[in-house]
Amino acid sequence: MTYMGEWLVPGELGHASVLISFITALLGVISYGAHTRGLEGGRTLSWQGLGRWAFGLHSLAVVTIGVVLFVIIYLHRYEYHYAWSHASRALPTHYIISSFWEGQEGSFLLWMFWNVVLGLSLIRTAGRWEAPVMSFVFLAQLMLSSMLLGIYMGDIKIGSSPFILLRETMQAPIFEQADYLKYITDGKGLNPLLQNPWMVIHPPVLFLGFASTLVPFAYAMGGLATRQYGEWVRPALPWTLFAIAMLGTGIVMGAAWAYESLNFGGYWAWDPVENASLIPWLCLVGGLHLMHIWQKRKQSLPSATILIILSYILVLYATFLTRSGILGDSSVHAFTDLGMSGQLLVFLFAFVLSAALLLALSWKHLPRQQQEEPLWSREFWLFMGSLVMALSAFQVLFSTSIPVWNRIFGSNMAPPADVVAYYNRWQLPIAVLILLLGTLAHLLPYKGSTRIPWKKWFLYLILPTLLLTAAVAIPLKYTNWTYILLLASALLAIIGHFGLLWQQQKIWLHSGGAVAHIGFAIMMVGVLISASGREVVSLNRSGYAYGGQFDEKQNRENVLLWEGEGLDMPPYRVTYLGDSVAEPNHYYKVQYEELDDEGHVIDRFILLPNAQINPKMGLIATPDTRHYALSDLYTHVTQVMDKEATGSSKEWAPPEPLMLSVSGDTIMVRDGLLIFEGVTTELPVDLATQLQDADAAVAARVIWKTLNETYELRPVYAIRKGVEFRFDDMRQEAGINLSFRRIHPDKKQIELAASVAAPEPRDYIIMKALRFPMINLLWLGAVLTTLGLSMAVVVRHREKNGPRSFSLSKNVDET
Amino acid sequence: MSKVHLFLLLLIVVVAGVILSTVDESSSYEDFATAEAYPGKEFHVVGTLHNPGDMQYDPLKDPNLFRFYLKDQAGAVRLVVYHDSKPQDFERSEQVVIIGKMEGSEFTASKILTKCPSKYNEDSVDVTPQTRTSFWSMDDPLRNLTLDHAL
Repeated sequence: MTYMGEWLVPGELGHASVLISFITALLGVISYGAHTRGLEGGRTLSWQGLGRWAFGLHSLAVVTIGVVLFVIIYLHRYEYHYAWSHASRALPTHYIISSFWEGQEGSFLLWMFWNVVLGLSLIRTAGRWEAPVMSFVFLAQLMLSSMLLGIYMGDIKIGSSPFILLRETMQAPIFEQADYLKYITDGKGLNPLLQNPWMVIHPPVLFLGFASTLVPFAYAMGGLATRQYGEWVRPALPWTLFAIAMLGTGIVMGAAWAYESLNFGGYWAWDPVENASLIPWLCLVGGLHLMHIWQKRKQSLPSATILIILSYILVLYATFLTRSGILGDSSVHAFTDLGMSGQLLVFLFAFVLSAALLLALSWKHLPRQQQEEPLWSREFWLFMGSLVMALSAFQVLFSTSIPVWNRIFGSNMAPPADVVAYYNRWQLPIAVLILLLGTLAHLLPYKGSTRIPWKKWFLYLILPTLLLTAAVAIPLKYTNWTYILLLASALLAIIGHFGLLWQQQKIWLHSGGAVAHIGFAIMMVGVLISASGREVVSLNRSGYAYGGQFDEKQNRENVLLWEGEGLDMPPYRVTYLGDSVAEPNHYYKVQYEELDDEGHVIDRFILLPNAQINPKMGLIATPDTRHYALSDLYTHVTQVMDKEATGSSKEWAPPEPLMLSVSGDTIMVRDGLLIFEGVTTELPVDLATQLQDADAAVAARVIWKTLNETYELRPVYAIRKGVEFRFDDMRQEAGINLSFRRIHPDKKQIELAASVAAPEPRDYIIMKALRFPMINLLWLGAVLTTLGLSMAVVVRHREKNGPRSFSLSKNVDET
Repeated sequence: MSKVHLFLLLLIVVVAGVILSTVDESSSYEDFATAEAYPGKEFHVVGTLHNPGDMQYDPLKDPNLFRFYLKDQAGAVRLVVYHDSKPQDFERSEQVVIIGKMEGSEFTASKILTKCPSKYNEDSVDVTPQTRTSFWSMDDPLRNLTLDHAL
């Protein structure tokens, strides 16, 4: 059968490009690999030249795949499964970009694209490292492009193609019609949680982070493969810093997305998907510091190599965790399983085994330290700090992998019931250690010192730290020792690194390390204060009314707000003012009035938490947040009135006969006053024009007064050729229907029948309001950390290329 | 023994501590019978909503009280009390995981995870008839046709 209206050219082009990208990646691995092994290609063929040629073609193919897929989505070509399942017509353009990477295939493609950009930059800058490093870049591309192949080898499916047609993915009678496309008018659309500005920017940055961890890995592996055991460290340093900056920014952007648009009430939930990206970051930071030790002291190379290699393997492991479906119930936002877990595992094992093999072969050649480092030296404490980072990574890794242990050992473990408390119990002390070790290491010179300026340290460092800690901890009423220690060590790190900045930096660009450490410490202070001081503003104070079973400790964070009725949530009076709809969002107007002690309003503002009432996913609430300099006020709805069910179809009470005196009468009907002023032959215009000469018709003049409104009604009673006709006057807005039943001349009465609509249900929302103090410190710290890392990237990059005219560490040494 | 060795030894102890604490503090997927045998200890119980009609949630009376009956995988039914608002779309969930502990004959849940059949994961084609006229004509074979097909 030939189908009508399908546009198959882009799909074929896309499929071909995927194939080309796979083949060129294979070619690249072979040719760069051959060059690395020192094979000579003969006079006409240079292996490295072939590799570059393959890379050019490969880049072209990857860009083509991306452009074609985007065009398919952008033009709403729903004959393609990817466009149909991730986009819809109602999506604005910026969210069409998000639908590009909503699915697994698109996100793999994004990852490949970044690898191509990185590869391009490596070919230009890596010099003699080009061949070994590019071999591993191509190896990664080989793996990723195979994920997009979508071909069958016997019964085994290799990859999942983004260009598969809708009719190829499912069997349905509709596809037996040649013109089936006419009936598929819209796609399934983007998951509403992802329809958020952060989701446009967070995935590209995060995937750039993931992709860039490849470069230090490739340098380390290339160093082992070419027996240049220590030489890889210097060229890999700027790349390691870059990867840390990008991955870190991606993680923080994910936290910002969770905070701004999810309603779990925070920015970090120790969710497996979050953890999966944090683990390689921790590892990489540990590796970076070990690389510094090697650069300065020619020590710790084996551990540096291991941590750098591990960080990329952990990126692959994270990919496996989030995309294989193994997380199952334990995570809310893992990808859908595409049946590629086997393939992901094969690649994971391939990388682990090749890394382990290379390490084992070169283990005894790795340079070791000859003598033990002195106790009071920077390298010793940096080494300790890096091991603690690795320990931190291990703790998160081991706990996040519970579903994997269950699968391997057939056990029945579930994540700890209170995940956040569980992780915090380990990670808070670890953070204290890292902050302390980091500060101590930077205060000490390399090679050690026999004279430690204890007195100076105490006066300018420890004393101010203690005073400042007391100044913060006492007003916050901290009694938990871990909190106090974390606060003190973060403040120590801030003061200590400011001291270093003050003393030594002649060239501002060289202070990157100190700036990054200050940023990290500020972040920790922000995390501590905002998490420990998180306060429920919407505490349900009316809990006692529901009987004695209410336990004080129990969660009472939701509160009911009637429309138009203010509720006190000190220091605010909160009023729900009504909702407005801008499909697909329902905005709930919540007015906050800040009151002073005497009850005067000193500030008034409106928050618009919104909810999408999604037919597929139910209510998806997005918070709205009032940002102050020192705290955030965060509000979201948890339940709303279902207006579909109660509002639109009015229920009418059965008609109630009313006998009224012809001369005029007044009677109460429900909560309104019905005033009958008499009958008239003057009919409403629409009826008057239909009147024929022989007809007799009268109208009742009725006034219906409710609390706020007055309505005039004219029900009509008519007789045409001996047949009675009644023209009711129904007023939807007034909620009343009047029928002129008959005239009783004998009693001098008329009979009306009134039916009233059930009263409009009062609108309400159930909401939650939280206050996060000092959360801006968290974002400020994150920005500073990235800034410091970027400064260091520039310095290390220049250092790598130019003569060693300056170096960060040299300056630091002079203290 | 050098400092580094000492430190590595310490590290090994801590690593062992991490493993033990994970195993020790991890909850486990159990049924009500186990939860009853260890009252006060937190478990994950997997089950399905039993008698949706008996579900109680009246936000106008108390927005922080939600009660329902859950049938665990062994078939036992218990009343579950949750002191928070009812998760949206709870009725439609095909599987529910509750985290919490038995208190008397009731299970007090501190967290509820639901698994909905119709989240964005599965494929089903909603065929929209193209014109309004065909929508209204009864003999149109495609009227309101919905096809559900998992991949």
